[in-house]
Amino acid sequence: MHYDLIVMGMGLSGLMAARTAAEAGKKVLIIGKGMGCLTLFSNTIDVLGKIPEEARLKDGLSQWIQDHPDHPYSKVGLIGIDESLSSFTSLFQSPYSFQTIGDRNSFIPTGAGIMRPTYLIPDTMVAGVSGNKKALIVGFKGFRDFYAGYVANPLKWRGVTLSIPDVPNQEISATALSRWIEKRSFRERIGEEVKKRLNGETSVGFPALLGVNDPMGVKMDLEEKIGVEVFEIPTLPPSIPGMRIFNRFKEWLIRRGVNILSGYSISKVSLKGRRCEGIHVHHPPVSTLYSADHFILATGRFMGGGLKADRRRIFEPVFNLPVSQPGSQEKWFEKSFFDEHPVHRVGILTDSSLRPIGEAGKVIFENVRAAGTILAGHYCLDEKSREGIEIATGYWAAKNTFQI
Amino acid sequence: MATVNSKRMDKKTWPKSNADVCIRCATCMAVCPVSRVTPLFPGPKQAGPGAERFRKSGDSSVDEWIDLCIGCHLCDMACSSGVNISELNLMAKAKYLDEKGRPLRDWFLTHSFLFAGLASFFSAITNFLLKNQAVKWIADSLLRIERRRELPAYQSPTFRQWFRKRPSSPPFEKGGDACLPLGGQGFEPYSKDRKKVAYFYGCYTNTNEVDVGKATVQVLEANGLEVILPPQECCGLPMLGNGNFKGARKMGLKNVPSLLKAVRSGLDILFSSTSCGHMIRHDYSHLLAIPGTEEVAHHLFDLFEFLRNLRERGNLNIHFKELPLKIAYFPPCHLRSLGIGLPALEILRLIPGLEIENIEADCCGMGGTFGFKKEKYEISQEIGKDLKEAIDRLNPEIVLTDCEGCRMQIRHLTGLKVLHPIQILRDALSDTK
Amino acid sequence: MKGSMRLQTEVLIIGGGATGVGIARDLSLRGIPSLLIEREDFLSGASGRNHGLFHSGGRYVVSDPEAARECIAENRILRKIVPHCIEETDGLFVSLPEDSLDFRDRFIQACEEADIPAYLLSRDHVLSLEPELNPDLLSAVNVPDGAIDPFELVLANAKDAENRGAKFLLHSEVTSILVEGDRVKNILAKNTLHGEEYLIEASYLINAAGAWADRLLKLAGLRMAMALSKGSMLITNQRLANRVINRCRPPSDGDIIVPNHTVSILGTTSVRLEDLEHFEVTPQEVSLLIEETSKMLPAIEETRLIRAYAGIRPLFQSEGKGDDRAISRGFVLIDHEKRDGIRNLITITGGKLVTYRLMAEKTSDLLCRKMGTDLPCSTHLKPIPAMDAPSNLKDRLKASGEAEILCDCELVRTDEVEKILKEGGVKDLQDILHRTRLAKGTCQGGFCIYRLLGILNEMGLAEGDSNKILRGFLEERWKGIRPVLWGSSIKEEELIESIYKGIFNL
Repeated sequence: MHYDLIVMGMGLSGLMAARTAAEAGKKVLIIGKGMGCLTLFSNTIDVLGKIPEEARLKDGLSQWIQDHPDHPYSKVGLIGIDESLSSFTSLFQSPYSFQTIGDRNSFIPTGAGIMRPTYLIPDTMVAGVSGNKKALIVGFKGFRDFYAGYVANPLKWRGVTLSIPDVPNQEISATALSRWIEKRSFRERIGEEVKKRLNGETSVGFPALLGVNDPMGVKMDLEEKIGVEVFEIPTLPPSIPGMRIFNRFKEWLIRRGVNILSGYSISKVSLKGRRCEGIHVHHPPVSTLYSADHFILATGRFMGGGLKADRRRIFEPVFNLPVSQPGSQEKWFEKSFFDEHPVHRVGILTDSSLRPIGEAGKVIFENVRAAGTILAGHYCLDEKSREGIEIATGYWAAKNTFQI
Repeated sequence: MATVNSKRMDKKTWPKSNADVCIRCATCMAVCPVSRVTPLFPGPKQAGPGAERFRKSGDSSVDEWIDLCIGCHLCDMACSSGVNISELNLMAKAKYLDEKGRPLRDWFLTHSFLFAGLASFFSAITNFLLKNQAVKWIADSLLRIERRRELPAYQSPTFRQWFRKRPSSPPFEKGGDACLPLGGQGFEPYSKDRKKVAYFYGCYTNTNEVDVGKATVQVLEANGLEVILPPQECCGLPMLGNGNFKGARKMGLKNVPSLLKAVRSGLDILFSSTSCGHMIRHDYSHLLAIPGTEEVAHHLFDLFEFLRNLRERGNLNIHFKELPLKIAYFPPCHLRSLGIGLPALEILRLIPGLEIENIEADCCGMGGTFGFKKEKYEISQEIGKDLKEAIDRLNPEIVLTDCEGCRMQIRHLTGLKVLHPIQILRDALSDTK
Repeated sequence: MKGSMRLQTEVLIIGGGATGVGIARDLSLRGIPSLLIEREDFLSGASGRNHGLFHSGGRYVVSDPEAARECIAENRILRKIVPHCIEETDGLFVSLPEDSLDFRDRFIQACEEADIPAYLLSRDHVLSLEPELNPDLLSAVNVPDGAIDPFELVLANAKDAENRGAKFLLHSEVTSILVEGDRVKNILAKNTLHGEEYLIEASYLINAAGAWADRLLKLAGLRMAMALSKGSMLITNQRLANRVINRCRPPSDGDIIVPNHTVSILGTTSVRLEDLEHFEVTPQEVSLLIEETSKMLPAIEETRLIRAYAGIRPLFQSEGKGDDRAISRGFVLIDHEKRDGIRNLITITGGKLVTYRLMAEKTSDLLCRKMGTDLPCSTHLKPIPAMDAPSNLKDRLKASGEAEILCDCELVRTDEVEKILKEGGVKDLQDILHRTRLAKGTCQGGFCIYRLLGILNEMGLAEGDSNKILRGFLEERWKGIRPVLWGSSIKEEELIESIYKGIFNL
């Protein structure tokens, strides 16, 4: 099968690249070894949390780009970042949309009772912003990835833990619980229970699993029953809000005729000179060749398999692209867990259109681009920039590929 | 490593466990249809690589819940570390059932091919019995086959009988199966202008949904291809899904030589059931180590994958008439696990007037024989409810899906007309044929 | 002293390792009251940082037959009194092509002389037992080695001793020892968590502080010549072999693989050390261990490591006169009356986990002689009751289906943890980790520590800032995993960092 574009990687950057190309009418294949990391962490869209609290994002980004010429954001530029975020938000129409409050970072509570800066937040989390209001936090017995008391205590709020009547003594998974909450009868019971426990609180925080399909419907129904505003708080993985993002992309891409292959890794690539001609996908015992005019490598970092490490070195397994080495293994990580580890800055170096470059800045393949966290020069965990980098570079890679 | 061993299975044929690479990230927990509806199944992370660390060779099985894995492969497809979770589950299930013994019910559910011929021949009687409440009550209480489940009706003549007797059937096929030409031994690359194709129709098409087979033959013939039916038996997936590796392997050992013969005579083999196809293409070689499968697998195609390939080369008959229908398409788990995308959706979108939407749901909950089992029926229904809601949101006239299990389940859940996509494609071609 | 709590006891034992706790139990069976004081928690020294080998004696049989004889005798006793702490796996001494078969023959001969049941297995037979072994091996000798769970062993001993009247003072450090004339008069101690001070009056003092024995004696103005040897070990994510695998050659670096519940432990190295409090596993040690142990089990080269850790063995330098109570090279029992003229002080240190009971017996015998009684030892006769939680893999897997699981990797049940918390006595996170298998699996606590802190908050037991505790745990965890971060472990690490630095903004 021949495509205009093959995107490797099914995280947010890959999905954005596929969306951008499909929107321009291109024939696209997106292939992932797994589902990417959206369903683990991406509850909200971080763009750049590490700017002064009161700063407008635009100003913060502009300063950041000036100060960090090698950062992925600097390749995309302010306008590109802005366009990419608009493209992302336009995919999420009401009732489940993403918003920003005054073009600034908002602070939302986390599962450890710490406030956390983030940029675009889904409507289900808005009522939790800033945490000035007194909130009652609700947890569920048997759900092990969220504890009301743990969230509430550091924030000087109150937490209550409800029992789920039909699940005695057993644990309940995030997906099961979010399915329960989608049931009206269940909401009736917990709504009543929570209302009874309110003691002057003006909002109620639930773990972020108010349903997969209609979270706003669930939220509004709960608000009606409880009588105060309701918001979601991110939990340990898996992330139900991340699943919503993934599902929405998938739905849109399938409707646009994008071919999605999940669960397969690339066994080798066919190269000709400075071009990639195709990728081989091995599904024992069959190996299939997919060819394309262009390729975008959005395979993530270590977790996604975009970068690999053995005892001696760090490498990129698909094209064997050059990866700068932070010395021998003992130099990859600092002595304190909370330090900034040199390993986080390594990645693929590219030109301004995200084509990987080798020594002396020479473009390695004319028709291959890299996008997402695999790029070098960022520390997204600390910068609170993971989703922003993914969205901006995924978009930018596809845009540059087709000169859209 | 904690590789599983089973007395009844040659150890060499077990794939090696790669549970060691699991990073406990819980992506699989986001997609598992079973753990979403019941706390009885701990989910793929625990049941698969998690439990694997606790399974010591020589210890007897204690993880009863392993039998609740529906075998949908969704976890495998979600895992970015490449853990073969559903295989780990299947091996553990096999070991568990080998030790505990299998209920008679499972034998019936996995050996229906033995009496399918008779059942078809006496279809009137069979179907009366299958619908009879007393019979269903007996099946329910003695065999623990859920009585609320409709048992599939048998049709007569069978697809194979229809194929042989139909007037347009090419003369050389009439003599039976043995007259397939013996081809060369060479490995042929993908057939470009091959005029003949072989068809693996599967048991269910043969005796229960004959029209799927008819539609397949009609569409292929409308594309100028001659269809040949190589001798074939049940692919063995029902047995494999029930952890009976030995039985499944036996079926594979019967099918592969016949399919190999067809391949070596220069034919591509097509399947219309994605479950049978997945079994032959991947499980035969990987899980069952049946010799010769690799060669077969390279020439084995999903029906719509094959049609999509024809289209790629401009050889597909696209003189479709307008079909003003509102259709919802459900991609079966086994189709997704084939890793070929959604070719039926691609082809059907070419039909003018057809309004077709993909159904955003994970698994139908049927899981082959899973949904027939009394103790699993509720789980099967709960999983199905999510699919039903997704279908309701689309409000279609007809639902299409490539797998007979999914079709049964969707009919059962929605009461809608549920067809194989090839049946709609045939209808779109019917004027031009 | 004013402001300090006065405590009185007949015998004060210093050190909560296997030896100290073993002495507490031995004395409790003889009816002698004791108080044990420990700076941290039980097992905070070498007892909690070893490879958990249940020695048959084979490892020393050629170089030190006397120690080997002690081992096999204790091996037989412990099988009877603490069967729940022992996995009777057997052990193999594997000869590789580069190993001398002369040594193997001497080994078999020495086993026979030391009464260690040993028999030779052919290559094919060995490979059928342990398919992951190097197929080039020549032969292997089977001995009654096994795996012992030091945590369960020490905690079960402590519990039984406590039931018989022994007392324990944990998280309390001895700050000074007051000697008056020929006696230790009393001891000052301080609680390390809340600072409370204790004045302890004891008729007898037993120093069972292991590697800290010398430091303790200094408080009494005494000295003993000790050298410290660091032994490093690596933990694999899965159990690679069901038997203990030894190299059939004179003991050396990287020659042993011990199964331990779900994992295997690769050991060990031996590096001289000066600082008792700050030490780490070096990259050279990691490489050496992988290279050496993978000669026996080639899969190790590719296998995933989840942690590196080190323990300290105290080594004794001969002191000439006075140091005459060395019962064997295995352990040292010092009567300070003979050595230093202090009548009520005994030091016991060294030895191996498997001989902890014997060491306790000999120490208690000496104490009894000093006390002028002849109460007999009965620890070799009286079994120690098992702890509640199931310990073997099969039972744990089965039990996991019946209740909420807190730690997915090690299948630790929530109710198991809640019970420990309700019983009281646990003072900090480490205490809980010592009493369960929490955080000992694949993710090394990445998920379950958050859950544990969540439960502490829910139960109203969270003291202080949970996130400070969480940070402390993550730093401790980091020490163990940092040396083995590549392959799947580096992926795991990115996941855990993304959770704590990302989702939780810790």
